[in-house]
Amino acid sequence: MKRRTVLQAALAGATTLALPSAPRAQTPRKLSYLTWNISDQEQLFKEEFADFRSANPGVEIEWLDKKGPELPPFYQTQLVAGTAPDVVDLQGAIWVEYAANGALLDLTPYLQKEPEVAKLFNPDYLASWQYQGKNYMLPFYVAKTLLYYNKTMFKEAGLSGPPQTFDEILSFAQKISKGEKTGFLTLNFDWLYWPLFKMNGIELLTPDMKQAAFNTPKMAEVLDRLAKATDSGAINKISWTGRWVEPNGAFAANTVGMLHAHSSSYFFVKGQGSWINESTLGVAQAPGYWATPTNHGFGISKNTKNPDLAWAFIKHVTGTKWATRFSQSRKLLTGNIAADRAGLEYLRKDDPLGAQVLQTQLEHTEKFTGNWPLPIDAQLKDAFYPEIQNAVLGRKSAKQALSDAERAVNRVLSRKS
Amino acid sequence: MAVAPAVTYRPQRLVRTRRAVLVWCFLAPSLIIFLLYRIIPLLWNVALSFADWAPLRPMRWAGFDQYEEMFYDEVFWQALWNTLLFIASAPLGIVIALGLALLVSSDIRGRNVYRTIIFISYPLMTVAVAIIWRWLFEERVGLINYVARSLHLVDQPIQFLNSFFWALPSVIAANIWQMLGFYMIILLTGLQNIPPNLYEAAAIDGADARRRFWRITVPLLKPSLFLCFVIGMLNSFTSFDLVYVMTGGGPGRATELLVTYIYKLGFSQTRFDYAAAVTIVFFVMLVTITWMANRLSGGNAGAVEKD
Repeated sequence: MKRRTVLQAALAGATTLALPSAPRAQTPRKLSYLTWNISDQEQLFKEEFADFRSANPGVEIEWLDKKGPELPPFYQTQLVAGTAPDVVDLQGAIWVEYAANGALLDLTPYLQKEPEVAKLFNPDYLASWQYQGKNYMLPFYVAKTLLYYNKTMFKEAGLSGPPQTFDEILSFAQKISKGEKTGFLTLNFDWLYWPLFKMNGIELLTPDMKQAAFNTPKMAEVLDRLAKATDSGAINKISWTGRWVEPNGAFAANTVGMLHAHSSSYFFVKGQGSWINESTLGVAQAPGYWATPTNHGFGISKNTKNPDLAWAFIKHVTGTKWATRFSQSRKLLTGNIAADRAGLEYLRKDDPLGAQVLQTQLEHTEKFTGNWPLPIDAQLKDAFYPEIQNAVLGRKSAKQALSDAERAVNRVLSRKS
Repeated sequence: MAVAPAVTYRPQRLVRTRRAVLVWCFLAPSLIIFLLYRIIPLLWNVALSFADWAPLRPMRWAGFDQYEEMFYDEVFWQALWNTLLFIASAPLGIVIALGLALLVSSDIRGRNVYRTIIFISYPLMTVAVAIIWRWLFEERVGLINYVARSLHLVDQPIQFLNSFFWALPSVIAANIWQMLGFYMIILLTGLQNIPPNLYEAAAIDGADARRRFWRITVPLLKPSLFLCFVIGMLNSFTSFDLVYVMTGGGPGRATELLVTYIYKLGFSQTRFDYAAAVTIVFFVMLVTITWMANRLSGGNAGAVEKD
């Protein structure tokens, strides 16, 4: 009797498992959603999820947020384990590596099927998520570099407006620097310093992206000038060594004339610098309008069991309704044209200077630089930047540093993938 | 008569077997955890170091390619050199700690307070230590620069963590400070175990303080000193969090240690295969230096001696 019961139970279990999924009891569809260091938006996300669930009954959303350095290792381990979240928020160029290795779903067929979705976004920001002609992400929030300048220090140095050329950046910086005051600072992570080279006509790689192209007399000259300006105090050394807090903190301390950084810096600097208002802080494009974007986007992990649902979800959160709320609540731009218009309108009343900063992010978006879609971007950065540091901080001559950088970059490029 | 020994032998063997099973039962949880979290990853790491592999890519046999690359990898050699300098700094910390231990084991007033103050650095989280020292070294608001400038020792603030020259010594200073309390407690225990009558006899024989220190204190402190050295060295090998928070390995590669380089290779550059090869070299170095240190200490560094 007992044995028969066990056999019956086993048979029933096996039959249930053998049935196709549809006739089985309806299990709720689940979406996992991984964001990057944005846990402060919990309330907004909850509302977004509720709205999505009302349109898609029976969907469960599991949201997980990871701090800055934690997300890449976490996502990598999840990918290897085959348990990657359905929807992931990725920043910078990290997505290219995932896309190239087949971890992300190609969204091009979805965008072709629903052309109205692509029309929602600034085409340049949307295009920055393309790898080999395929689109892998939708913009979540976007930013690019600009030039902040301290109007008071400019006035004291007899300068009337922001620099229009690289030469002016250096000469203005020299005029401003005095005692503890330095003239110029740049953020240096994620190629944010690259516009300084691009405005001098320097290319990192050859057009086929197979060789280093930066080791030129012009680059040596630019690097040498940057090193001399750094040595003289015209350029603050933190430019080459600091990460986020140090350079922004130094500019907020009212001792630096110019800051080359992205729009997110404004809110950090404003929070620390009581001197900041419309008459003391100027915002401008960098010479030549060159800017490096640092965007966040949503991709779909290829191992998702619900690709259509995941697509519906990222359309939902990047759509005009929720992107507008997000733009207003976080005071940033989303790449969604209508949402950004509404967000800027809202910000103009609340923080006109902040609106000016964000306005720069929508202009000259055709002049992005430093955002090469390369799966080995992190390795390139690691091969290139330490040598640039060596040159600008006077440890090596510009020529020597460039030669070493060229060798290191070419080694990365030639390495077996 | 022939059966009798077997009758007594079997229960003894049973008792021994039961005891062994009991011992293994107690050891099993730790051994399983050790196997899962140490031995298997180590073996996997060895396999990975002979392969070409990254997440989502199939593994391919690469022979000694990864090891070969190390010969040409300037960053690896720089990180190795920095790691060796970091290790070489451990004796400096031990010497300072010995001085402090001698001081707080003397009859000075408030010695317990001093002991507590010195020891307090050790239980602090390394990340907290790194943040504290980062601020101390800060050029605008850092205490060290403030004092140096107030005393007119320098005209311009020293960019400790942003300078190729100062960055590594600054991180080493923070590391020594953190370990000082630990070294001091170990050495203090060693000092208290030295029988006072040895000093009394030496004093009667006319030995001055210096001779007593070199002839009694140092030889009898040898096991404690080597224990400090081994632990200090292991700590230097694994000072990931301190370096990562204070400098991130920069400027340039000025403070790059093997352990930070391995992390960057794996998690920033997704080169787990090469990171595995560097880890293996790192592991072999660690085992060799630990073995050598243990041999030098007479093979019983940190051993608990039975009466």
